[in-house]
Amino acid sequence: MLIEQAAYANRWRRVAPAAKACLALAALISAGLAPTPATAAGLAAGLMLLTCFGAGVPFGLFVRVAAPATGFLALSSLSLLVSLSGDGAGGLAWQAAPEAVPRIAAVAARSLASLAALLMLVLTTPLPDLIGLLRRLHLPEIMLDLMVLCYRMLFVFSEALHDTLTAQQGRLGYSTARRSLRSLGLLAANLAVQVWQRAQGLHLAAMARNGDGPLRFLSPDFTHATRDTVVAALTGGALIVVTARLGA
Amino acid sequence: MHIMEGFLPPAHALGWTLAAAPFVVWGVKSISRRLKEQPEQRMLLGVAAAFSFVLSALKLPSVTGSCSHPTGVGLGALLFGPAAMVPVGLVVLLFQALLLAHGGLTTLGANLFSMAIVGPFVAAGVFRLGRRLALPLAGCVFAAACLGDLATYLTTAIQLAWAFPDPAGGFVASLVKFGGIFAITQIPLAISEGLLTVLVVNALSRFNAEELKGMPLLGQGEVRA
Repeated sequence: MLIEQAAYANRWRRVAPAAKACLALAALISAGLAPTPATAAGLAAGLMLLTCFGAGVPFGLFVRVAAPATGFLALSSLSLLVSLSGDGAGGLAWQAAPEAVPRIAAVAARSLASLAALLMLVLTTPLPDLIGLLRRLHLPEIMLDLMVLCYRMLFVFSEALHDTLTAQQGRLGYSTARRSLRSLGLLAANLAVQVWQRAQGLHLAAMARNGDGPLRFLSPDFTHATRDTVVAALTGGALIVVTARLGA
Repeated sequence: MHIMEGFLPPAHALGWTLAAAPFVVWGVKSISRRLKEQPEQRMLLGVAAAFSFVLSALKLPSVTGSCSHPTGVGLGALLFGPAAMVPVGLVVLLFQALLLAHGGLTTLGANLFSMAIVGPFVAAGVFRLGRRLALPLAGCVFAAACLGDLATYLTTAIQLAWAFPDPAGGFVASLVKFGGIFAITQIPLAISEGLLTVLVVNALSRFNAEELKGMPLLGQGEVRA
């Protein structure tokens, strides 16, 4: 996963997750408050520059991660540009709605700014750090256990999925649409069977160690956590104020 | 079909988050109760969340020639029950946002409502109704997965139509527009996912019949689709 690669190899890796989450939250609020599309677009550009040049995330990687969501945004914006109305003969007529352009520009710019805020967080913070942050925010233990297990097992399943797909492709399992559906059914069923087998194995392993409580793992130590969080909170507050006042 | 980060107006994003919150609380309480009786299911639900995440990466061939990924809404609801699907769905959607930038944090509530609440409840309801009417299991599984999928997309279309009413025709025209766009791709995909779910349940009943007996929906009766 590209996001995981960047999250473990950037200059902000040792910055406290609370600080990065605080800044990302402020950026998301700013994106929602941005009074004009130009302000939101400027915010998106600023966040992208901060992620790439501040945190040292490669620009190409940022673009590759953002591309699918941006493409989806382009398609969604096109759908908003079309209006549906009665054609006078009891039918429906599709027509362009140029009056919707300002609204589309606002939605697209807000989405881009929000996406840049999300990417700033996820490209600089590994998921286990975010789970550690959620633990400190007192999310229910059962949700944290689900997240810890899901994170650790998804790589195991991804590997199993990849191996099975390769084996099926090597036996022409995807040569026709009918075979593809059958092969996918077998693949999903095989993985589903592994859900029980692996869960039973994990349960037995935990029981053997008297592990009937929450699943806890060591979190990395962030030396300047308080300082980082205060700086991020002040920067985020300033960002919200500046963004909100730009259109006033 | 995830609504992307920032696409919904802030009031709508907040509203859908508030609408989904009671279901999350109920789902967490429900699985906490279940785990007190069956502690071994703690690992099962966590591993199932990883399975759902990986399943969403599969490319599903559609009868129109296009392809997309399965939602796993119907299969998850049939295996683990709709109540468990709310917290499991929350984790999967959160991970999709954080690891794939698919969906988003501001739209998490809206996506959760369509994919982890409406879809699984419709799938479970259709399955129960089908079994009560003594329909064949394969038909019940197919209908549950297919209609659960369609209900998910219909909910997403309603969410988008409500947020972006048509300038001329208002909410209804917008719903017809978004519903029409989704129908082109999603009806064939829902049929494909229904067929896929039948194949999965058949294979599971062959290889894992004992474990299926402990499941809330599929465990009630014979499990050969």
